[in-house]
Amino acid sequence: MGSKLVERKRKSRVVSPESEDEFDGGDFDGILSQSEDEFDVGSDEEHDEDEESESGGSRSGDDDGDSEILSDDIPSDIDGDDAIGKILEEQPELEIEEPGVDPKRKEEDNAGKNCRIEKDANGNERYVYDEIDPVYDSDDSDAQGPVNTIGNIPLSFYDSYPHIGYDINGKKIMRPATGDALQSLLDSIEVPKGWTGITDINTGNPLNLSQEELELVRRVQQGLLTDELQDPYPETVEYFTSIEEKMPLSAAPEPKRRFLPSKNEAKQIMKLVRAIREGRILPYKPPDEREREQEEEEEVHFDLWQNEEAAAPNPMHIPAPKLPPPGYDLSYNPPEEYLPTKEEREEWEKLDPEEREKDYLPQKYGALRKVPAWDTLVKERFERSMDLYLAPRVRKNRLNIDPNSLLAKLPSPSELKPFPTVAQTIFRGHEGRVRSVAIDPTGLVVASGGDDGAVRVWELLTGRQIWSVKLSSDEAVNAVRWRPTKDTFILAAAAGDDIFLMVPTHPSVALALEQASRDILAAGFGYATNGQQQTAPGKEPPAKWARPGAKLEDEGVLIRVTVRTTVKVISWHRRGDHFATVSPSGQRSSVAIHTLSKHLTQIPFRKLSGLAQTAAFHPSRPLFFVATQRTIRCYDLQKLELVKVVQPGAKWISCFDIHPGGDNLIVGSYDKRLLWHDLDLSNRPYKTMRFHSEAIRAVRYHKGGLPLFADTSDDGTIQIFHGKVPNDQLEHPTIVPVKILKGHRVVSKLGVLDMDWHPREPWCVSAGADGTIRLWM
Amino acid sequence: MAKIKKKGQSGSAKNYITRTQAVKKLQLSLPDFRKLCIWKGIYPREPRSKKKVSKSATASTTFYYTKDIQYLLHEPLLQKFRDQKVLEKKISRALGRGDVSDAARFERNAARPEKTGKPRYTLNHIIRERYPTFIDALRDLDDCLSMLFLFASLPSTSAVPAKMIARCERLCQEFQHYLIVSHSLRKSFLSIKGIYYQANIQGEDILWLVPYKFNQRIMGDIDFRIMGTFVEFYMTLLSFVNYRLYTSIGLKYPPKFDQLKDEQGAELAAFSLEGVNIATDSGETKAITNGESEHGPDPKVQAEVNKLVKQLKDESSNGGTPMETDAEGGEETATDAIDKFEAAAPGGDVLPQPEESNSDPGQLFSNFTIFLSRETPRQPLEFILRAFGCKRIGWDAVLGEGSVTTDKTDPSITHQIVDRPVVRAAMAANGDGEDNQTAQKLALNQRYPGRIYVQPQWVWDSINDLELKSPELYAPGAALPPHLSPFVKSAPGAYDPTLPLDAQETEAEALDAQLADSNGEEGSDEDVENDMDVDSDDEDEDEENEDDFGGFSEGEGEEDEDEEEETTLQRQRELEAELSGKLIKSKPVDAKMKAKLEAKKALDKKAREEAEDLERAKGMLSKKKRKLFEQMQYTNNKKSAEDVKLRSKRRKLEKEKEKAKANGKA
Repeated sequence: MGSKLVERKRKSRVVSPESEDEFDGGDFDGILSQSEDEFDVGSDEEHDEDEESESGGSRSGDDDGDSEILSDDIPSDIDGDDAIGKILEEQPELEIEEPGVDPKRKEEDNAGKNCRIEKDANGNERYVYDEIDPVYDSDDSDAQGPVNTIGNIPLSFYDSYPHIGYDINGKKIMRPATGDALQSLLDSIEVPKGWTGITDINTGNPLNLSQEELELVRRVQQGLLTDELQDPYPETVEYFTSIEEKMPLSAAPEPKRRFLPSKNEAKQIMKLVRAIREGRILPYKPPDEREREQEEEEEVHFDLWQNEEAAAPNPMHIPAPKLPPPGYDLSYNPPEEYLPTKEEREEWEKLDPEEREKDYLPQKYGALRKVPAWDTLVKERFERSMDLYLAPRVRKNRLNIDPNSLLAKLPSPSELKPFPTVAQTIFRGHEGRVRSVAIDPTGLVVASGGDDGAVRVWELLTGRQIWSVKLSSDEAVNAVRWRPTKDTFILAAAAGDDIFLMVPTHPSVALALEQASRDILAAGFGYATNGQQQTAPGKEPPAKWARPGAKLEDEGVLIRVTVRTTVKVISWHRRGDHFATVSPSGQRSSVAIHTLSKHLTQIPFRKLSGLAQTAAFHPSRPLFFVATQRTIRCYDLQKLELVKVVQPGAKWISCFDIHPGGDNLIVGSYDKRLLWHDLDLSNRPYKTMRFHSEAIRAVRYHKGGLPLFADTSDDGTIQIFHGKVPNDQLEHPTIVPVKILKGHRVVSKLGVLDMDWHPREPWCVSAGADGTIRLWM
Repeated sequence: MAKIKKKGQSGSAKNYITRTQAVKKLQLSLPDFRKLCIWKGIYPREPRSKKKVSKSATASTTFYYTKDIQYLLHEPLLQKFRDQKVLEKKISRALGRGDVSDAARFERNAARPEKTGKPRYTLNHIIRERYPTFIDALRDLDDCLSMLFLFASLPSTSAVPAKMIARCERLCQEFQHYLIVSHSLRKSFLSIKGIYYQANIQGEDILWLVPYKFNQRIMGDIDFRIMGTFVEFYMTLLSFVNYRLYTSIGLKYPPKFDQLKDEQGAELAAFSLEGVNIATDSGETKAITNGESEHGPDPKVQAEVNKLVKQLKDESSNGGTPMETDAEGGEETATDAIDKFEAAAPGGDVLPQPEESNSDPGQLFSNFTIFLSRETPRQPLEFILRAFGCKRIGWDAVLGEGSVTTDKTDPSITHQIVDRPVVRAAMAANGDGEDNQTAQKLALNQRYPGRIYVQPQWVWDSINDLELKSPELYAPGAALPPHLSPFVKSAPGAYDPTLPLDAQETEAEALDAQLADSNGEEGSDEDVENDMDVDSDDEDEDEENEDDFGGFSEGEGEEDEDEEEETTLQRQRELEAELSGKLIKSKPVDAKMKAKLEAKKALDKKAREEAEDLERAKGMLSKKKRKLFEQMQYTNNKKSAEDVKLRSKRRKLEKEKEKAKANGKA
């Protein structure tokens, strides 16, 4: 529309001189004329269009453009007021015609009928009404003539029909006649101007473009304005300056300020000058030069440590360790012996770079000029920096000491001697295991008891059996112990829940000695008859002291003490008047202390925590040690109180022995450990020795002044240790393992069950599960 | 009832903090945190028990001390980092808006800190904090120098800007100048990785590594941001250290730097040092090549002139010269040297005193004019020679600016350092200069009379021992003696290549070697194998001994049995021989051999006994102590095994050499 307006303007310009008479003062005012003209034309155009839409109602839509162009032309044809006047005159006429009713109908209207009468097939009258032309009361220019109403379906659906669809009234739109095949072929070969190959869905005719339309398409494609005539860049016409004024508009004289320099400008310039003077604005310099200057300015040099004061070292700060200095093998020309052999080189290359001990292989270059660059130098440096900032630092105390200084100062083997080394004598005679063995205080004979229920006494050096007695046919002899004084010759043996005290008849034993022994054993009977009544009547006495019977008495077995449960351990007091027995299965009465002189048995503990394993008297003081499974308790027999609890840490204590000095203790356990306790030091072990592969059965100190102790184990070995307890309280005991004695066979997982030291000599006897007793010397 | 303690509220759980927590606490990005840690020297710690320390279910790997992080919290740099972040955000926002000029303005403003309050930082305060005294800084200079010297030789990339490289180079050269002037370079070592230098500044030994002048290959994934952070710190450190060092010897810092000379490759000579005190140094700039001035006029004349000038100056400065000289005369006895303390009365303890070294490192090459051939590495040689007193060093013009003379025919040259193979003399003798090639070779191989030709290693070996080595050993083309590291301190028992083999091998080794010698001369390989056999035997025994703690009588018994067996065998053989009527085949072993064999046997026995003793003794140690002992023994054994290997290798080499010599004689 705009373009049209412009068109209009130009035309009206051309026209304007003609319509001079209408605008009287139009001689100078072009704008007015234009605006008026425009208004006029606009209004008349409206009319035009109205007319257009009405008159061209039946025309097809594609002609729209054409009609508009035509309608544009109208006013140009009919010029000026005359034309307008004409149109105005014509308008009423048109309006009469307007309602869009056919002239025919109008005639019929005039006739007063709106239907025709026809004859139908039967000859009857039939009213045929005219088609009602619905008048759409609108100026919708889109409403076009016959429009195919088939909608959005392909035209090919109607290929088999003579029609191509239906118009708005439901009438068939007939397919236009087409030429024959030859014609269509020719058409397809010789493409006519404007051919698009599209069939118009409304008419069924091929849709061709007209020349103008083609031109329009071309212009759109080229990006030109669609209207050829329109000039997008018309020359401007200056309204004012095109006219040269002869007279000045104002007669005022030229002001003074026109001749004075500007103050404002001076101000601005002064500002710049000041900035330059102050150095805020710098003369131009190339950027890199400027940068360099700036950097030099930035580098400040001063003594950072001018008033330095040493800070106290932070104890938490660990300085980074320095890299080690290069060694000989890093030289470019190292001594030949540092060069790797072929195998070493291969081995090094085979290793993963992280696993290599050194990150380089020594290499020899004959001359300095042959030395290449080191490839990984940057990487090494990088790794160093990573270490510096990311590696956790830990202060490690490097022990720069001779490892040998850790070792305890040991006596030389020659100083450790004597100790038993070989099996001197083997005592055979027991059937089944030998459970216990003991050397008498004089050191001449050895007594033993075993599974066969017999107690045998052997001559120590020769191995000859000199005496034996069968205590029981079904119970094994669990323990044999000599009374530890030299003035008697009394042996205690436990078989089942009986304890027998006997005096072995022996040719070497002096008669006086034998008599003294018998007297001591007999002395108690008188006392017992007197003192038996002490126990409360309802209560069963803890033990019965009796004579074992004539048969045994003939053999030399003089007293039989019967306790409640099986006795496993016998332990004499050093004076020989008391002995303790332990029967682990007896709950309350597991530990019993027997007084020989009174034939009295006492049960010292009403309650014991844990099962009692073994018990012993202190060698010099009135103390009594009882071992339960885990602990060893030391009781004062005079004050009747618990003195100490020793905790060896073993799972199950099997045996223990007290050093003749009284301050040290060795403990053997079923969990293969041998523990040395210093009673003054702590209740935890001083040393733990684990040299056995099986449970330890017996431990024993040498009681005759030699610094020896030994233990026996189920692995069939006896281990001899040198264990010297110094007189000085401050020194620790020295323990040196010296010998493993092997010889006993292991029978059904049992090895050596008991051992005893000779009272003076460095000899020992051991009782094995294989039925033998061995003397080691 | 005691209050129930909550987990992670006290003890080591509070003392340590994981890295993530630290970063969160400081409100920094991880790279900024890394930077801060590097600069402030904060490093992770290893807690005793990680489980107690970590509060999360997943195992954290890096722990810091909470106190360390607390300390970082007060760092002024932290604010700078944040400002930087804000600026970056502003710029990126401006760019996102498409407002390039705005972004440029932000950036420009950032470059003018004093006007715009931009976030620019210096590390001065950090250096002061980390090194409260100058000695502390010197102590930590190893890594700094190694890093800066490496960066000075890197190619410039986007990660390593050329400016940084140039600055590194300058700082390094300034440092080298100090070492030259103060003569504090002590040792140097040509390794396969580069050249190690050791200097002693104010009693601190500083060791650093300088790569050979090649283009450095950058292999593997190397994060140059981390390296760059270190370099930034080190550059600041070294510039302050340089300032202090220069001022300590009365020089002005920074020294005058001649851009033009540097572009011509003068390197060290591009700097000219100035005295800071005009009165003492007569104001003249002391160029690096002091010899240059001597080069022109006759030295005697120069000396006289100097004397005159000095007199004049003294007179002009003050008239009281005689008094001064008097004072000097009076103080003559007071020297810096340590006085010798001698015992006045007998019975006192003897206190050791350090010995004054008689040779001054600044005088080693002071009388020489040394010319460097163009194939030698100029930079290290120049540096070392100057540091050891050489004033006049010349080199070929291709090696760059700054030499005393580029003319190799200069008669004043006393030493020439060459590193090229000798052209065979026979050729030269034949061709009379007619053949072009031979003439060239002649020219190459030409020797000027009155000069000593040596290979570069001569310089290094001379300075390490502080004595001029005999130049014959280092003549061009000669097989050089091995170049040994001067940093190794010989420990007793360790292998020392400078000592003869006899002086350091153990008795057993010597015996083994001799036996091997006399036994199989055809198979010298046995030597090593023998050693190995012995080793393995030992191990076996060890194992046996471990099983049973100490049957020390057993070994003896076996030994005896062996001997017995041997004698019985011998007897049987004799009997058989008698029976068959043959002569007894006496063993072809001479008495000496036998003696040696016996000695060896005795030694073996002794060793075995010792091992037994050791085992017994070890059995009595507590478990903890035993472990420690075994560990120590393991490392010691490893070390000594290495030594044994080196010795055996050397023995073999010596034997081969002898054989070769014998063959040559025959």
